[in-house]
Amino acid sequence: MDFRRAGTTDEIVSILAEVGPDATLLAGGTDVMVQYLRGEIAPKLLVHIEQVDELAGVDEADGRVDIGALTTHLTLSEDPVIRRTVPGLAEAASQVGGHQTQAVGTVGGNLCNASPAADTAPPLLVADAELRLRSAAGTRTVPLDRFFLGRRHTARRPDEVLTSIAVRPLPSHAGETYLKVGRRGAMEVAIVGLAARLVLDDDGDVVTDARLAVCSMAPRPLRLPDAERLLVGSRGEPEAVAAAADAVQETTEPIDDARARAAYRRRLVPRLLAEAVRLCMRRARGEEESWS
Amino acid sequence: MSLIGASVPRGDAVAKVTGRAVYGVDVRLPGMVHARLLRSPIPAGRIVTLDVDDAWAVDGVLAVCTADDAPPRRTGLAVYDQRLFADDVVRYEGEPIAAVVAETEAAARRALEAIRLELEPWEPVAGPEQALDPATRLVHPHWAEYEVAPGLEFRRHGNVAAEMISDPGDVDAVFARAPFVVEDEYRANRQYQAYLEPKHAVVDYQGGRYTVYVAHQYPFNVRDRLAQILGVAVSRIRVVCPTIGGGFGAKLDVGLEPYAAVLARKVGRPVRIVNDRLEDLLTCTSREDAIVQIRSAVDEDGRILARELTCLMNCGAYAGDMPFLASIPLHLAGSVYRVGTARVEARVLYTNTAPTGAMRGVGGTYLTFAVERHMDHIAAELGMGRRELRLRNLFRDGDRMLTGQVIDQAGTLRQAFDRMEQVAPWAQVTAPRPLHGVGLAALIWLTNPMPGSATLKLNEDGTLGVVTAATENGSGAVAMGLTQIAAEELGLRPSDVVVLAPDTDAAAYDAGSQGSRTTHVVGAAIRKAAAEVRRRIFDVAAEMLEVSVDDLELVDGTVGVVGDPGSRVPLGEVARTATFTTGPIAATGAYRTPMPAHDPTCATGLLFPSFPTPTFHLHLAEVEVDPVTGRIHVVRYVVVQDVGRAINPTGIRGQIQGGVTQGLGYALFEQLDFDGARYRQRSLETYRLPTAVDVPRVEVELIENADPAGPYGAKGVAEPPVVPVAVAVANAVSDAVGAPFDRLPVTPEDVLAALEERRRRP
Ligand SMILES: Cc1cc2nc3c(=O)[nH]c(=O)nc-3n(C[C@H](O)[C@H](O)[C@H](O)COP(=O)(O)OP(=O)(O)OC[C@H]3O[C@@H](n4cnc5c(N)ncnc54)[C@H](O)[C@@H]3O)c2cc1C
Repeated sequence: MDFRRAGTTDEIVSILAEVGPDATLLAGGTDVMVQYLRGEIAPKLLVHIEQVDELAGVDEADGRVDIGALTTHLTLSEDPVIRRTVPGLAEAASQVGGHQTQAVGTVGGNLCNASPAADTAPPLLVADAELRLRSAAGTRTVPLDRFFLGRRHTARRPDEVLTSIAVRPLPSHAGETYLKVGRRGAMEVAIVGLAARLVLDDDGDVVTDARLAVCSMAPRPLRLPDAERLLVGSRGEPEAVAAAADAVQETTEPIDDARARAAYRRRLVPRLLAEAVRLCMRRARGEEESWS
Repeated sequence: MSLIGASVPRGDAVAKVTGRAVYGVDVRLPGMVHARLLRSPIPAGRIVTLDVDDAWAVDGVLAVCTADDAPPRRTGLAVYDQRLFADDVVRYEGEPIAAVVAETEAAARRALEAIRLELEPWEPVAGPEQALDPATRLVHPHWAEYEVAPGLEFRRHGNVAAEMISDPGDVDAVFARAPFVVEDEYRANRQYQAYLEPKHAVVDYQGGRYTVYVAHQYPFNVRDRLAQILGVAVSRIRVVCPTIGGGFGAKLDVGLEPYAAVLARKVGRPVRIVNDRLEDLLTCTSREDAIVQIRSAVDEDGRILARELTCLMNCGAYAGDMPFLASIPLHLAGSVYRVGTARVEARVLYTNTAPTGAMRGVGGTYLTFAVERHMDHIAAELGMGRRELRLRNLFRDGDRMLTGQVIDQAGTLRQAFDRMEQVAPWAQVTAPRPLHGVGLAALIWLTNPMPGSATLKLNEDGTLGVVTAATENGSGAVAMGLTQIAAEELGLRPSDVVVLAPDTDAAAYDAGSQGSRTTHVVGAAIRKAAAEVRRRIFDVAAEMLEVSVDDLELVDGTVGVVGDPGSRVPLGEVARTATFTTGPIAATGAYRTPMPAHDPTCATGLLFPSFPTPTFHLHLAEVEVDPVTGRIHVVRYVVVQDVGRAINPTGIRGQIQGGVTQGLGYALFEQLDFDGARYRQRSLETYRLPTAVDVPRVEVELIENADPAGPYGAKGVAEPPVVPVAVAVANAVSDAVGAPFDRLPVTPEDVLAALEERRRRP
């Protein structure tokens, strides 16, 4: 196995153009190294991109927030712009693995690895995230809900590097959360993760817009449009939440694995949804601070 | 100022936290080569083909070894049922079938892949209940031909590797006229010791002797078992122990040493072998899974009149030390609380799963789980307070265990309940709060009595060398306990005491780091040796100072004259004088705790007949249950523990915090169960150890009721804090949810199911 270090995005792009599918990008390495040691991947060339500074950091301009692919979970959980505009993402990033994982793991790595349990995926899905993928041929933009194709399978072409993620900030009268279920308080692959973003009318009564997304409930993280529609127009009353939960059950296909049984995952859905709706509405009304 | 009771910092801490300590896995010898094992991929079956020819051809391979060229005998601890390599039949997933040794580990791995192995899979004997069914295939069809270790007597039959039965004969009559009978069944899964340092060994064979480098809890057992397996005299084996990265019971028996020894002899070079984490997890002698049925006859006042307890213990494919552990059910079925008369049966069962064995708190964890969960159930049946029921039945000074053993200091339990009441008043902590619960659990535990020794030698600069095979397993028993005792005895600073790491060529026998014995047993041995060293020091110093020996005292590294601060001579000077006149000052002390008397007719198969140096414990857990996820948060944990005498309070608190942490893992996180006969959890990602954020700071209350034989009154400390934790937590969760949790671990899945069930009920 060869190892190369890229100092700029241009360098990454030219290495990928040259080597293509034989190259594996190495950001924080928290997925790559584990998979390599387990023999799940056998890259011919590792391209170390962690030190490409232009790919890290958060930018806010013209009503959009841009997140560099190499931004770490630690940065996401502490960054004031993220905490104000995509608080669910900060909440998720603070729950990725433990302190060590958060210090080196990146959001781009989390998305490109495309684990069914990727924690940053649900909050980015509810923030209408769009990914910028660059190759020698140019840059294209892919909405996140069309990026995940299956377990460890994405729309990224082998010659592309993910440069940044654009998200829609939380509007006013809106609340957002990410709820992660694990057995321990840290170092857990999500048993279920649920992100919600609810927008209320000016009176803070009626849901005018709803976004829901889950991880660990299907081979890939999912937006849940059917359930969202059942919440719009509601006041978050139990019947509406129950109906939305039923819709989630219909669109998802949880499995039994060594972490939890499918039955538990199913049992969690209505409870998490009710809790998420309750939290989002309180936050939208200013009755509760966003996650801090 | 006395060092006894002082929280002296441990001398090995800096090397450990800075990464400079040399662990067993760090050992490298010149010319060393690397071995790996071919392990069975299936839990049960017959070897159809085992062709190693291609492995020999792999570049760098030095030797390949199978059952055909390994020692032929079956050996073991109680039952001689195990060969080094599976011969015809494989009995558990991970069982060694062949070994290769090569210049590099990579070459050894390649060689393993070149071995042609064909197996005919059999339906595995998956669990203890299936093993007991007469229709089930025998894991060892030739069990009757197996030898048993000399001096041991116990019943075996079919898949029952060992049986312990105690039946006083009057139990049924009491049940027949009892006002209440309460009956329960409890189940507990396995627990992996999950030490940081995987099992390993480096063996060098030269001049007809094997030198084994292994970080181990019980170096002399490595010597003895290796001698047994290889069929050589114990004096042909030397075991040297570097720093150990944890053991928790799994490093009491031999592990990989015999494979390295056989191969080292074959290739004439030092051989290193190390488990990877998967191998270690799959083949470790984890704490056994068990099923406990318990039934009690109770009167209107809550007095327990009689009890019946049956315990099935899964020993996996080979018996290991489990026949000894079959005694624990008798000890725990009727201690702490008076139970009148009791029938107790324990069966150790062969299955096609990895062999199980000792882990911190052997058997006690799930037996206490059963006994104390059952107490809560009895209280509920009678509508009586849970604390009140316990106090009514609590042991008093001089009460007898079911073995007939008298527990002199059993009144310490009452003291523990009173102390707990001071720090966590029952009425206050149990005041009803939604999804909040409290659990209590008490315990009498033992201090392992087995022998140990120490040689003390006064160095010519006045410092002290201690030669002992007592092992520092990380607990501080050597680094703090023994060091402080030796320093105190001779008026030295702890930093002036240097304890040699275990080397079976240098030190006399020691029974290893088990059952909290080191400070108690070896501490007593050190005191004996120190008395002799002191006598010799005083003899020489008396002449030097021209006073009578009766006027001398040891202070701050000097010998002084009582009442005359001006007359003193440094110990170094005494040592030098002694060395070149009467000879060097050194002495050896040895100790073994006498076994307390018991009634030998009380049971059959009772291989571990009594509980020496008993200690007394009371735990309280407070939990909150998350109504959304069912997750359990342990919000408060209090331990009241009798330690005899706290030699180093900080060390003790560390051991209690660690024991409780391991107990919380067993209670809530550490799931190790089966898909058929294969472990479902196959890495430390899914085998979840508790993390720092999952564990509360444990509140510790020490009781110091001295043991007359222990050094300064010290009793065993470090093993038992793991024991009552699971049940304290399970009782608290049952209290919080209002439903019984009778299976370990207690999972959020079960909690959520119970919460839903409760909501459906009117
Ligand atoms: C102990 C531990 C705990 C963990 N806990 C969690 C958890 O709780 N939740 C969770 O979601 N994950 C968890 N993970 C997984 C992992 O930490 C995260 O997915 C992390 O965000 C990956 O980022 P990375 O920078 O380390 O990615 P890397 O390992 O460097 O890369 C991951 C993948 O993405 C590709 N890649 C990386 N950057 C780019 C880019 N800019 N463009 C194109 N492709 C790219 C790589 O080629 C590789 O295929 C854990 C991992 C460990 C080791």
